[in-house]
Amino acid sequence: MSDIGNDIVISGMAAISAAGVGLDSLREALCRGESLLKPVPADILGESGHLWGKADGFRAVDFIPPLKARKFDRCSQFAVVATGMALKDAGIEPAALDADRIGIVLGCGFGGIANSEEFLRGYFTAGAEGLTPMLFPNTVPNASASNASIEHGLKGPNVTFVQRFCSAESAFMMACRFLQEDRADIILTGGVDELTPAMLRGFAATGQLRRHGAGFGEGAGILVLEKGSHARRRNAPARGSVGCVRTIGRLIPGQEGEGADRLLAGVTDASLVGLSGTAAGEKQLLDRLPAVTRLETAPLIGRSIAMGGLAMTALVLALRPGCNGLHLAASPEGPYYAIDFRGGNPVQP
Amino acid sequence: MRKTAAIAAKSMMVRKRIAITGLGIFSAAGKDVPSFSGSLLAGRCAIGPIDLFDVSPFAAGIGAQVHGFDPLDHFTAKQAKKLSRADQFGVIAAGEALGNSGVCGCYSPYDIGVSMGAGAAGMLQAEEWLKETLAGKKGNPSLLRGLLPDRTSMAIAAAYNLGGYLGSITTACSSSATAIGWGADLIATGRLKAAVCGGSDCLSILTFAGFNSLRVVDTEPCAPFSLGRQGISLGEGAAFLVLEDEESAICRGACVYGHVLGYAVAGEAYHMTAPEPSGADAARVMTAAMNQAGVSADEVGWVNAHGTGTPLNDVVETKAMKLVFGNRAMGVPLVSTKALTGHCLGAAGAIEALATVIALNEGVIPQTLNFRGADPDCDLDYCHPGAKQSAAKVALSNSFAFGGNITSLVLGI
Repeated sequence: MSDIGNDIVISGMAAISAAGVGLDSLREALCRGESLLKPVPADILGESGHLWGKADGFRAVDFIPPLKARKFDRCSQFAVVATGMALKDAGIEPAALDADRIGIVLGCGFGGIANSEEFLRGYFTAGAEGLTPMLFPNTVPNASASNASIEHGLKGPNVTFVQRFCSAESAFMMACRFLQEDRADIILTGGVDELTPAMLRGFAATGQLRRHGAGFGEGAGILVLEKGSHARRRNAPARGSVGCVRTIGRLIPGQEGEGADRLLAGVTDASLVGLSGTAAGEKQLLDRLPAVTRLETAPLIGRSIAMGGLAMTALVLALRPGCNGLHLAASPEGPYYAIDFRGGNPVQP
Repeated sequence: MRKTAAIAAKSMMVRKRIAITGLGIFSAAGKDVPSFSGSLLAGRCAIGPIDLFDVSPFAAGIGAQVHGFDPLDHFTAKQAKKLSRADQFGVIAAGEALGNSGVCGCYSPYDIGVSMGAGAAGMLQAEEWLKETLAGKKGNPSLLRGLLPDRTSMAIAAAYNLGGYLGSITTACSSSATAIGWGADLIATGRLKAAVCGGSDCLSILTFAGFNSLRVVDTEPCAPFSLGRQGISLGEGAAFLVLEDEESAICRGACVYGHVLGYAVAGEAYHMTAPEPSGADAARVMTAAMNQAGVSADEVGWVNAHGTGTPLNDVVETKAMKLVFGNRAMGVPLVSTKALTGHCLGAAGAIEALATVIALNEGVIPQTLNFRGADPDCDLDYCHPGAKQSAAKVALSNSFAFGGNITSLVLGI
């Protein structure tokens, strides 16, 4: 179960969120600790009083030629831009390395849903004549990761996960395993999400606006994971390193204690705990953790299905060199993840 | 077709292997393993009329729909109401696989996980909600319950009291093949003692209209690798394999149907819908899968193709075969079971993996159905005339997807 000694470093990161574009804006938001959620325009839901975390500071055309940007759904725009920023942060030019050895494994929440809705809207309102074929390829959840791989020439492992509020963590665990198995030298991982008015109307219809859909956000948080040996060879910068990745699928009724013990086995010396998804409400897990500072991004920039990408990025940004952190992620019906990080550059301690 | 634990023990290689100890399927070609095996071995095409929704606006109005399905044959009314069609297929097929393996109760529920691939999932029901709201109605919110493709994995875990790893891979048509490889990894690393791995997907207006709008749907049952093929026939269903560490499986007296020997996954980084034309990337992944499995190209008896029946895909996969197998390519049949099952998208890789395991156990290479004539650009052996007897112990199963996502599984007996 333990991944201690897996020698995986985080050689780059990128963030796009309600806080803005780039790591500095996320760091600043964490320091200020003030919510950046804004009121949802009343015309969207027919009522006011709701908040969302739109990444209003992001304009795809600031990074992608307009004609190309139009080809992508918003989720893919986030992924394409954040992937480029993360590669740059890591000092990686894919064309200068073996592209087959650079992969991308992302979590993606409602990716493709906006295109699906627009595509179907055309059909339901105008029949087959109303179909827009160009929309269809980007209705798949893997459009974001795949478009990012195409734009940046990443030909290594390429996988997308959707698993409730632990979509990004699901991707993160696979990325670590692929590096350990030597399937790649570098894997970009994390999460990407978009938020549309239609989604909010869906949350409203299902009663989620006052539950887990409250204060939803969007954006991308991407971490560049790299084999330590590879990073050392190229004198890469390292923002942190990865320790043990633990997960369980569910807390089984009547056997919750065993599940919690398994999830948190070996967690002892974290100086900072990052909470993602619905982890802040998991009392039976939180009670087992050390009484240290807790970092929760959801109240600041919003919660989303693949928010773990941004939450893990925030945790690594906040960790002091040499200090250990724990990322705890949960979904209401599972799964659960507990991931160890260490701040700073293990290559040049 | 069952191989006893004793025989499996004798044939067990030194290298630690992941055993397949349970099989389950629910599809148009068979609603359980025995009936699916019958269709596979007899070459009965399951592609035909669709009445799940109105297909009259489309040039191609056929597919491999699961007909005669009454959820109440499998679920209580209360249970059925909470599950989308894709969820229901998944729970049924996973249940057959788990029951077949007898694994539940042998390990802690926290040691048994779910690794699955998903596609359109509950889109069919969500489409109803959208249609209702566009018509000015309120829309029944329960129709949105299964919209996220991870819902099926949660339904399976809850139905069978599994508490281990829970993950849904969503790389379109390669989803469930990757999920099987990943499930094997989770066992190999000791994270799980067993995993039910596979995929579930169902027909939807989105995918039916989408592929029709791209003009890649054949008006007749799809004819992979044939002259005059026009594209895919869509399908639906679910298939699951129970995987365990072989040593543990044998210790508990499980039957072993075969092994997941290895897999590889990559992105072509070429185009969102068109395959890289030389086949080099597909060949790269197939070769990487064999390397990871510790299997040489000479040991591979045949390949279950992605084989959609689109003009371009079949040619590229043919080229990839030549790159991988060289002069031996003509002697390694490349067959497509999609002409039997339809293209089941998120479930396709799992259904094809299961078909491959069944065929390996039967000593048969399945027929590629619906032959229309020889295509000079598809000049390998596709078993168009009929199934072949084979002593092969190893086969590959390929899955290619939108986005250039490629997965190749290495399966053995």
